[in-house]
Amino acid sequence: MMERRYNVLTDEWVMVSAFTQQRPTNPTTSCPLCVGGDEFSIPYDLASFDNRFPSMKVDAPEVESDSRLYKRARANGKCEVVVYTVEHNSAMSLMPTYQIEKLIKMWVDRYLELSLQPAIKYIFIFENRGAEVGATLSHPHGQLYAFPFLPKRIDAKMQSLTKYYDENKRCAICDVVENELATNERLIYENEGFIAFVPFYARWPYEVHVYPKRHISSLVEMNNSERSLLSKALKIVTMKYDLLFQQSFPYMMMLFQSPVNDVRYDHAFHFHIEFNPVKRDKNKIKWMASVETGTWAFINPKLPEEAAAELRSVEVVI
Amino acid sequence: MSTYFSRPDREEFGLCSHAMSVSEIIDFDDFSDIEIKKIAGYRKENNYELIIEMERIHLGFKFRGYVKGFTDEIEIFKFKRPDKLLVNNWQSWGPSKVIEKDFRLDFPDDLIQKFGFSVSIMPELYFDNLISDYYIASEHFLVGGLSSKVAHPYFQLDENEVSVKLRYFGIRFEQWQEIEPVVILFDDTDKVLPYYADLVAKENRVALSGKRLVGWSSWYQYFLDFDYEKMCTELENTRRRGYDVFQIDDAWEVDIGDWTPNSKFPSLEEVAAKIKEYGYVPGIWLAPFSVSETSTLFKEHPDWLVRGEDGNPRVAYENWNKRIYALDTTVPQALNWLANLFQNLKKCGFEYFKIDFLFAGAIQGKRLENVTPIQAYIQGITTIKKAVGDSFILGCGAPLLPSIGYVDGMRIGPDTAPYWDVSSSDIGYPNAYYSLRNALTRWFTNGIWWWNDPDCLMLRKSDTQLSDVQRELYTLTSLLLDNMIIQSDNLAYVMDDRLWSIVSEYRKYGRRKVHLSGIMSGQYNITSCGVDGCDSLFITDLEDCVFTYSKDTVDIELIKTVELKDDGRTFNYYNEK
Ligand SMILES: [Zn+2]
Ligand SMILES: [Zn+2]
Repeated sequence: MMERRYNVLTDEWVMVSAFTQQRPTNPTTSCPLCVGGDEFSIPYDLASFDNRFPSMKVDAPEVESDSRLYKRARANGKCEVVVYTVEHNSAMSLMPTYQIEKLIKMWVDRYLELSLQPAIKYIFIFENRGAEVGATLSHPHGQLYAFPFLPKRIDAKMQSLTKYYDENKRCAICDVVENELATNERLIYENEGFIAFVPFYARWPYEVHVYPKRHISSLVEMNNSERSLLSKALKIVTMKYDLLFQQSFPYMMMLFQSPVNDVRYDHAFHFHIEFNPVKRDKNKIKWMASVETGTWAFINPKLPEEAAAELRSVEVVI
Repeated sequence: MSTYFSRPDREEFGLCSHAMSVSEIIDFDDFSDIEIKKIAGYRKENNYELIIEMERIHLGFKFRGYVKGFTDEIEIFKFKRPDKLLVNNWQSWGPSKVIEKDFRLDFPDDLIQKFGFSVSIMPELYFDNLISDYYIASEHFLVGGLSSKVAHPYFQLDENEVSVKLRYFGIRFEQWQEIEPVVILFDDTDKVLPYYADLVAKENRVALSGKRLVGWSSWYQYFLDFDYEKMCTELENTRRRGYDVFQIDDAWEVDIGDWTPNSKFPSLEEVAAKIKEYGYVPGIWLAPFSVSETSTLFKEHPDWLVRGEDGNPRVAYENWNKRIYALDTTVPQALNWLANLFQNLKKCGFEYFKIDFLFAGAIQGKRLENVTPIQAYIQGITTIKKAVGDSFILGCGAPLLPSIGYVDGMRIGPDTAPYWDVSSSDIGYPNAYYSLRNALTRWFTNGIWWWNDPDCLMLRKSDTQLSDVQRELYTLTSLLLDNMIIQSDNLAYVMDDRLWSIVSEYRKYGRRKVHLSGIMSGQYNITSCGVDGCDSLFITDLEDCVFTYSKDTVDIELIKTVELKDDGRTFNYYNEK
């Protein structure tokens, strides 16, 4: 069973994928991403492959939707596992920036290749790191979902940013970048191409956003020197996280790009990366609980400026 | 015979006088929302009623509406004419260019009859008025129609104002009929053009195929002097060039309208099979809505042709030293013939169809059914699309907006040529210079409406008047804009191999993300990003081919290999070179 179901209460699509229930919750034997594991028989450097338990497939079964109330649609998207390196014990914070640059190049290739499919509307690249955010494998990897629809929060971003553009004739994120550079209250790292900072509007205690200084709407528009600068920014943010509590820091890393097969948002939407970590303290977790899940309203127990100061003071050398 | 062009009969189209007149002229450089809101509402004219609704959208406004009654033309609103405007012609070959206040149309009298309706769907207006079809843009805004399914959206310019119109060609709607939506978008031209293109694509529910092709075509080397033997020689020479498609152009048919192979070719099955032997998609050229005066089709089925007021078949244009008539795509038998024609070509093995002179399907005139020329055209192109299924359709000489959603590729400029002539008239005549100019000014439709075909690359160093730098600029522009790449050369000639290796390099990986700025200034700055980074091409003087090309420095070379596992899953491996 694989289909999309429409929620008439919230105007959102839910992907129903019955066999995700059978996914291994705790792989007991060897790592499937290591050479010789379930997925790889030969050595590789980086790889991106179809998830064994996808919630969407390019050739997803046709579905009949004849109800006005209960609409269904094909889950004709794609779910890929994006493996960063063959080194099992590595992590973004431990990898050479050169490896992260290769990862960025692979992301670009995946994005451009998948965007050739007319049914794909949005490509969401992300990483769940740590058991606290549901990652079942410790081998450094992320994932990508190529959606045949614009997910709700993505749509909210598009609407909000186009509204700001209409009102101000400017890209909101370009303005945020300018503001953060001017005030320097929340920055944790900056190079010629990117800023990393705890946003004014952070929802999570140690939330960090990475924005390119130049207006671009997707990964693809970065030139090679910007890719290298982004790899540095990613390495430094994740290193700071690990050093903050001297532990492998659990986070959700999410890349937000303009929709594909759609250029309507390119001038108003500014590519960015969000790190949403769940730790509020060394041993405390901030859960996505009733208020956050039910209302989409967040209570951040940490002043973003303080979180920024803490992260800024974590010294890292690359 | 009815020759519309030798005797322009204004009376016949005197219906224009029924068009309503909108008195207020909006100045888009200085206006209030109230002035725009005034466009909306209910209007009752002598022969028809009109309702227009306004919706605020990102960057501007959208107008939808309904019409009922007898309609020749609707004027939606008028605006003050800015000094500098990007104007556009209705079909592939016509110019899309920036004009200043002092621009005057310079069309050689002796070509008017030959060109026929190719210059305009409204030749009765075209030569004495300034017209822009589908969209028009200033440095700060764009006004454009979102579709052309029934009416023809266009702009009529006079000294001080621009009138936004929908032409219905004298049709009666008994029921309320939805009109073609129109948008006004405010921002820099370089930003609003792609945005407008996307709105059009969404309105027409375009689902663009991922097939970005590289191929070979016979036309710009052999023209009509092509035969099976030459085809076989070329096929032999194509080895290792990495084409997807090999297309035979005009030369193979008995006559325009009689789409069977002439004595220079064996059966079409044999032609297609031969091409397939080399691993290419077999491609074929034809002009499906055109019927020459010498064809058997013309003799046998005069009742399948679009007629003039006098009841005689109307000349659509002249070419091949013949008068060419237009297929009436509202005649059921003619549509059947059309469907059979394409089904049969497909059965023979062809899967790439370059369909040319398509404007002939949309000329004004009497048809069996009382529909607008646009509706007739859409019936024709729908029939072709249905017949060929998922094969690739390349439109050419085609009305742009009505073709959206029906073609995979589209010629967006005049024919190229083995010469670069900056002094000849800008009227859609073969010329590499104007061909490339249109590839630049219509860049924003690529990958959104269809894959733009900037016309063939000629990379041969002899048998051409193109200079090295002209060839280089043509190649780089086509590649950086991520357009279709079709080569047309005798492959036995000495080629510019450096350029071909650049082509192969660029086409190794998927799609590119492209932006062009500078359309209004004529200094075109292309940024084109792909897996290997962002390259740029800055054309400061197109006439003299003055440009700077810079390629991003690549530090990391990843080799991608793709494996399809037994369980159906795809694995993409990336290893360093
Ligand atoms: Zn492992
Ligand atoms: Zn921006």
